[in-house]
Amino acid sequence: MKFLKLFLVVYLVMLPVSALAGKAKTIEELAAMYDSSSCKECHAEIYAQWEQSHHARSLMGVLGGLFMTPLAMKGKTPFSPDSPEEATIDTFPCFKCHLPQARVDADDAFAVDYAKALLAQDKARLGKLRITCIVCHNTKAIIHKRSEGHPEAGVLYGSKEIADHGDKIFKKVKKSSIMDHAIMCGQCHGMGPNLEFENPVQCATLYGSYQHNYLSKGGQKQCQECHMKKVDGLADHLLAPNWNDLDGTKKLLQDAISLDVDTVGYDWLLKSKDHKPMVVVNTRINQNAGHRIPDG
Amino acid sequence: MTAKSTDGKEVYNTERHYHPQATDCRSNKMLYGAQVKTQYIRDTSLQPMETKSESFEIFLPEGVRTVDVKVSLRYEIWKPDHNIIITEFNKTVSLDR
Repeated sequence: MKFLKLFLVVYLVMLPVSALAGKAKTIEELAAMYDSSSCKECHAEIYAQWEQSHHARSLMGVLGGLFMTPLAMKGKTPFSPDSPEEATIDTFPCFKCHLPQARVDADDAFAVDYAKALLAQDKARLGKLRITCIVCHNTKAIIHKRSEGHPEAGVLYGSKEIADHGDKIFKKVKKSSIMDHAIMCGQCHGMGPNLEFENPVQCATLYGSYQHNYLSKGGQKQCQECHMKKVDGLADHLLAPNWNDLDGTKKLLQDAISLDVDTVGYDWLLKSKDHKPMVVVNTRINQNAGHRIPDG
Repeated sequence: MTAKSTDGKEVYNTERHYHPQATDCRSNKMLYGAQVKTQYIRDTSLQPMETKSESFEIFLPEGVRTVDVKVSLRYEIWKPDHNIIITEFNKTVSLDR
């Protein structure tokens, strides 16, 4: 009996806080668990930037498209279930980056609810699921889990420590080892095919490009230096580009890409007495971003 | 890129596409969609800190000695007709002095 008590105590201590709270079974439950709307009370500017970002609509692509819909449709992808009732978390490998909290804090009942919402194209409900402040500043803030432990409940992680954060739930901010490093972004803006799934999934390869084809040329900037430039002393959480903002994206592209063109018109003497009127256009596209373009 | 004669007739039109291209490794058919892409088979994208150079030779039809050249660099988002024009170049090029 004494051993059983000890086992129970140890077992309960080892359980993550999320397990005690239970896993989300619906879209609304998961959205509530990761709701960051209280952050805007003190961080209004950052919150407003984030609301315009793709992180705030991570399940929707350009112009609001629900790109995961084929995964919920019978026969459309290797992951698709025969019916939405048979959906599981593994039906949606894209959760790995587009909704990381689903792999941590949701169970298969959530996947069923999500599949049904996709088939119904219910953007109002699906739009509640976002990569919120908590995802980056808690869930994804620690990658050295064996060295530093798992992210703690009630703690946020940032680029600097704040002993008294002043929030009712997240009372302190600890310094993350990676928050201002490229690997923070590289967790999702990835390396290449994701081979841990039962079928390969290849989405973003941007961090691979950064590692192998930018650093090798002497580039030393972190992702945050270009994509989270300081605005009034604070990192811009728009995390541009916002593909729905064509003017803003155009400016970003123009900062990274330039085009030089030279032309000449002449009569080319291909062979004796056979002049060919010709115009030659020489183009040079210069690219100074820290990764291939396009990528994601 | 296009070239038009002074009467507006198009005498040249070509495109270059710069992007990584993938298959599912089960056929040689190029595919879009993360859930099916498996491996890049070709990568023509713009690489960091590199210059992509092209030289286009436009042989003019008989009687045409002057053309209006237009080079447009675009970023396609999601589909070809939804794009951003990053920059454009326009110049009249003549073979005659």
